Amino acid sequence: MVNHYLVKTLYWILIGVMVIYSVFPIYWMIVSGLRDPNVIYNTVSIMPGPWSLKSYETLLDLTDFSSWFKNSMIVALGTVAITITLSTLIAYSVTRLQFRGKMVVVGTMLYAYMFPPLLLAIPLASIFVKVGIYDTLLSLIISHTTISLPLGVWLLWGFFKQMPQDVEEAAMVDGCSRLGAFIRVVLPLTLPGIVTVAIFTFLLSWTDYIFGFVMISNDANKTLPVGLETMVGLYELRWGELMAGSTLIALPLFIMFSFLSRYFIRGLAAGSVKG
Amino acid sequence: MRGDRAIYGIFIIGIVITTILIFYPAYHAVELSFQSRKSLISAPEWVGFANYRLVLQMPEFWEALVRGLIFSSFSIVLQIALGLSLAILLDRKLPGIALVRGLSVLPYLLPTVVVVLTFRWMLDGSTGIFSHLAQAFGYSHIAWADDPTSAMITVVVISVWVWTPFVTLACLAGLQSIPEELYEAARIDGAGAWNRFLHVTLPQLRPVLLVVLLLRTIWMFNKFDIIWLMTRGGPQHATEHLPVLAYRLAFELYDVGKGAAVSTISFLILSGFIVVYFRFFPLDQKE
Repeated sequence: MVNHYLVKTLYWILIGVMVIYSVFPIYWMIVSGLRDPNVIYNTVSIMPGPWSLKSYETLLDLTDFSSWFKNSMIVALGTVAITITLSTLIAYSVTRLQFRGKMVVVGTMLYAYMFPPLLLAIPLASIFVKVGIYDTLLSLIISHTTISLPLGVWLLWGFFKQMPQDVEEAAMVDGCSRLGAFIRVVLPLTLPGIVTVAIFTFLLSWTDYIFGFVMISNDANKTLPVGLETMVGLYELRWGELMAGSTLIALPLFIMFSFLSRYFIRGLAAGSVKG
Repeated sequence: MRGDRAIYGIFIIGIVITTILIFYPAYHAVELSFQSRKSLISAPEWVGFANYRLVLQMPEFWEALVRGLIFSSFSIVLQIALGLSLAILLDRKLPGIALVRGLSVLPYLLPTVVVVLTFRWMLDGSTGIFSHLAQAFGYSHIAWADDPTSAMITVVVISVWVWTPFVTLACLAGLQSIPEELYEAARIDGAGAWNRFLHVTLPQLRPVLLVVLLLRTIWMFNKFDIIWLMTRGGPQHATEHLPVLAYRLAFELYDVGKGAAVSTISFLILSGFIVVYFRFFPLDQKE
């Protein structure tokens, strides 16, 4: 029995080490943002405090943080809206149509989703310059959609494939049009899949640095990751403010995750995440 | 059938949009690599394979390729080893385990910029917490990202920290689908813990591990932002891999054609890997 307790203790010690390993940098980020900036460089204590909101105040006063936040939100929600609409329609039509070369369409989606972001960023920048939307939020929404759309089609294709066609055919026998059957019967059943796609698209767009970095130079159009990165040069590395900004970027993702972790883990397990 | 015309319409619209959004840029990337232009707005000049020839003659290109292979292979192997171990550790039905699983995913949610800034703060030469810790253990100064070798180790360690949860969750899902009877049978046959892992767990996890290996390889080989934000490819080009080289050529040295050529070559290398991979490990037809 002693042996049994030893194994159990050892197990929980390993779990403890794992949790500290996973969480410590995040803990340190939050603690550093909330620490009095006057003592942040000489306080070595692992414990939080002395507490202060000074770093947050300086961050919001001296930088365009709030407009970066708004830009990030517009780009992320715009990308989510476009991706959900298009990927639902494409995935549905691919599963319900019978034609040769169908698997080629699905396969190229997977292939497109393997393109290195930088390989897409360079030509996209060149196209946006030509069209005249370079350095705008719209250019970022389109760029993010190039990554999230193949992902969404791939994931929803798996969803529609599993769904029996009898349900919608029954609705159509009862007098629904194809579109009516789609909206009233198919869409509600696919909701979990759509939520998963929405979460990953939001995550992808909210955390993107590469496209924002290549496409955006005007300070007013910057998104959070790009804006935060430019602060590094501007304020001679004032770590309190940078950690406060980092916390504010991470917070919406943590909140989202704590409510929707079920969908998140489902998508991850389906091997459907870019990163 | 009724309404089939609508569905064809939707399909065609979808394909057109996808083509414009994804395949035209990809085509344009290849087109750019055959052109010489000083910036994105200057007039292009068709130069054939000149960019490819010049790039392949650059020693920087081959050095960057080798560095990229070192970076991606070390981080992939460590991610998979650690991710699989953590999944086995977390594959228990115990009170509180859901919370522990949730906490272990958090690094994966963070934007790369946030990860890099947090690590740069923790590793800051004189005031970072890790530097303080190192001092407490008697090391006077540690050049985390200032020395070529330790810069590479640092970017590998950070990328392992961020992307291991992906492997953990994928393996955890795989572990939970292994029927308990298989372990029972092995136990009755007298197999110890190690043998059960070797002869039951690993073969059952094989499909999951193969997909994870493929996806991680693709993404780590292309990974740009973590290295760029941490070291800008330095010190002395020690962490400059193909994506960083492509970026520097296109946007810092104003040679868009060569930058696009490097990206295209790197994509071809990856495609070659994928083809070889599927030759050795064909995906199941039902998947």
